[in-house]
Formats: sequence, structure tokens, C-alpha cells
Amino acid sequence: MFFPKKYHAVTIASILIVLSLVILSFNLKRPDEVGFVRKLVMEVAAPIESLITGTFEGIRGVWKRYIFLVGVEDENRSLKKKVDSLTNEIIRYREAYLESIRLKEHLSLRESRRMPMVSARVVGKENSSIFKTILINKGTADGMKAGLAVISVEGVVGRIVESSWNVSRVLLAIDYNSNIDAMIQGTRSQGILQGGGAMGCNLKYVERSEEVKVGDAVLTSGMGGIFPKGLLIGTVVSVDRKDSGLFQKIEVMPAVYFSRLEEVSVILPEEKPL
Amino acid sequence: MMFYLVLPFFALVFLVFQTMILDLFFLGKMSLEISLILVIFAGFYMDAMRGGIMAFVLGFLLDCITGSITGVFAFYYVSVFFVSRIVSNRVYAESVFFIGLFTFFCVLCEGLLVTLIYRFIHGVDISFHLFRVYLPQAIVAGVLSPAFFTFFSRFEVLRDVGES
Repeated sequence: MFFPKKYHAVTIASILIVLSLVILSFNLKRPDEVGFVRKLVMEVAAPIESLITGTFEGIRGVWKRYIFLVGVEDENRSLKKKVDSLTNEIIRYREAYLESIRLKEHLSLRESRRMPMVSARVVGKENSSIFKTILINKGTADGMKAGLAVISVEGVVGRIVESSWNVSRVLLAIDYNSNIDAMIQGTRSQGILQGGGAMGCNLKYVERSEEVKVGDAVLTSGMGGIFPKGLLIGTVVSVDRKDSGLFQKIEVMPAVYFSRLEEVSVILPEEKPL
Repeated sequence: MMFYLVLPFFALVFLVFQTMILDLFFLGKMSLEISLILVIFAGFYMDAMRGGIMAFVLGFLLDCITGSITGVFAFYYVSVFFVSRIVSNRVYAESVFFIGLFTFFCVLCEGLLVTLIYRFIHGVDISFHLFRVYLPQAIVAGVLSPAFFTFFSRFEVLRDVGES
């Protein structure tokens, strides 16, 4: 094309590799900056993810509701249409009812916490073996920015890591990259809760001498400045003091069931009086 | 020209679809990167320009979708594409065994790259993931890759033999 044919592939390879390395080094130097193209991709990906998720949920629902009805006896066939329409109606009502309950809980959460919050809907999930993030339908236009805490009725969800205009990415508490200042409710012993992927979370840096039991609640300690004090993160599922060293190994099961998340609340920074 | 215009959109839909489907089957415990198999396929059968740009776009979009540092997957996918090209020019790359083995190796290398990034950039040690997640992932990808190669070869746009 523009270069001698002999070196065609080598030139393209060099250009693309250098370009990707330049992008990589630029982003390593400025990890908090979200580039325009990345914002654009988030904006475009969110509705596609939402659409595909909706389609799959629909297919899954159809499979559950109808496929197993194929083999019903003859006398039931005449009633099928009626059952179908009634089932659909019930599902619609139930969905609306459940949504109203969830929204009411969110509202009560906001009122009980007395913190400025913004409710958001989960529009996409990245749930690979390493990366655990979700997309929510609120962006910089709604005051979202990196570092804001995200919670649900069940407990701590994670924190925002990047925002485009109308969409934000939330790093879940179970992501390996997530670190939350936490404490055991009973003993008040403090540590850092690190994400452990599909295995839940690990509470680190709790001294061996601290008496931690299975079933103890783990709360945010309020030390990191991101999460307010006293939010439920999860419960202790195993404690191991066998390893040598200063600290014990504590596994924590998050209170939030991340794959079922539909609505979340983002805690906004409180306005300081002048 | 049309290829380059529609590539970003189709690549994005493909990646989102891949993420969603895999989440349904594996529930986040494992992932099968069909996009990586596609890049290897492109390395074997597509010309440098088309395949290279496709690998770059796929990698870049994967960076954006997964939330990883922009450039990591872009760099890795472009590298895999050109390594696949070099390898396919030197050995008989049509055999099922070779395709599976090469894919297995590429998935493991990706695991190693991600582990190193977590270790040296984020300061998190996830080396146990190499054996617990990436090794089974590499085996599954290696076993399934010949089937995906057969599937991809049905799309004429992915079998550009213009220069290779």
C-alpha cells in the first residue's frame, strides 16, 4: 500500500504494536483519566449489553415458563392460551410489585442513612474469571465520578472506577483489585477486605490474637474515606490461624448477591458548609 | 473499506455477546475467550492489514469492556496475531492438534500477562489463578479451538488470502 510490499507486514506490525504500547503507557501514567474513545465505547456498549441481557432473560423466562408445558395432557391444551396470558399478566404484576418493593427499600435506605445518594440501574455486567465489574446507567451528567461508593439494600457493592457521560463502571468488592477498609462487628478488629474473585473476599491484616469467629459480620470501618462507617460487607465464613505469621486468614462471604443485582445506590460526597 | 467501517460495531457486539453468553454458562468462574481464538484464526488466514487492525480493535474494545488498563489486550492481541502469522508461515498450521496446542499456549500466555500486570501494577498477587483458572481455561480453549476454526472459516470475510 504505502510501503514496499516486502516490508508490508513488518511495517503494519510495528505500527500497531507501537500504537498499543503508546496507549498502554499513556494509561499507566494517567490511570484515573477516562479517554474519550473509552467513554464512547462505554456509552455504546451499555445499551447493547442491556439489550442482550434482556433477550437472554426473556429466553430463559420463556424456557422456564413454557417449554416444560409442552407435554401436558390433552385436556390442559384448551386452557393453555388462557394460562399463558394469565401467567404473563401475573409475571408483569409480580415484576412491577418486586420492583416497587426494591425501590421502596432503596428509598428507605437513602432516608435511613441520611446521605446524599443517587439510585441507578445495573445495565451490564463483566463477570469473567478476573474482572468483576458492572455498568450502571448514571454518569458524569448525574454527578458520578471515580471513587464514589456504591451500595445496595443488602450491603456494599463496590466503588465507581470510571464514568462516561451517562454510564459508570463499578468495581465490585469481589474484584481482585478491590480493597475496602473493614472491621469485624463484634471485636472491632480492623483490616483490609480484598476481593477474591468467585471465591468471595479475604479480610487481611487482622492480628492472630484477635478473636474472630465464623458468622461474624464484617462492616466498613470508614477509614479509607470512600465508604461511610458501619455498612455491611459480608460475614466471616472461615478463619485460619494455622499459618505462621502475624495475621490470620479470614474468608468473607459478601452480603450482596452480585449476579442478582438490579438496582444500586451511589453515595455522593456530602457538601461541606462554607 | 466496508470491512473497516463495520468492524468496530461488529467487534463490540461480538465481545458483549461473548461476555454475556459465557457468564450464563460459566457463572464468572471461568471464561472462554472466543475473541482470542478469532485473533489466532486471523493470524493463520488473514492478511496483515485486515487481521492486524481487527486484532487491535478487538483488543482495544476488550480493554474498554473488561475495565482493564487500556492497551493491555490491544497489545496482546496484536502480538498474538503477528506471532500466529509468523508461525503459520513456517509450520503446517492446518492440523487440529497444532491449532489446539497453539491456542492453549496463547491463553496461558495471556494468563501470565494478566498475572504480571496485577503483580507489578496493582500490587496484587493472583499467581494461583494461573493453575486454578487459566490452565483449565487454556485446556477448554485448546480443545474447542478447532471447532471454532471450522466455524470462522465459513465466513468469507475472515478468510482473506490476498497477501498471505
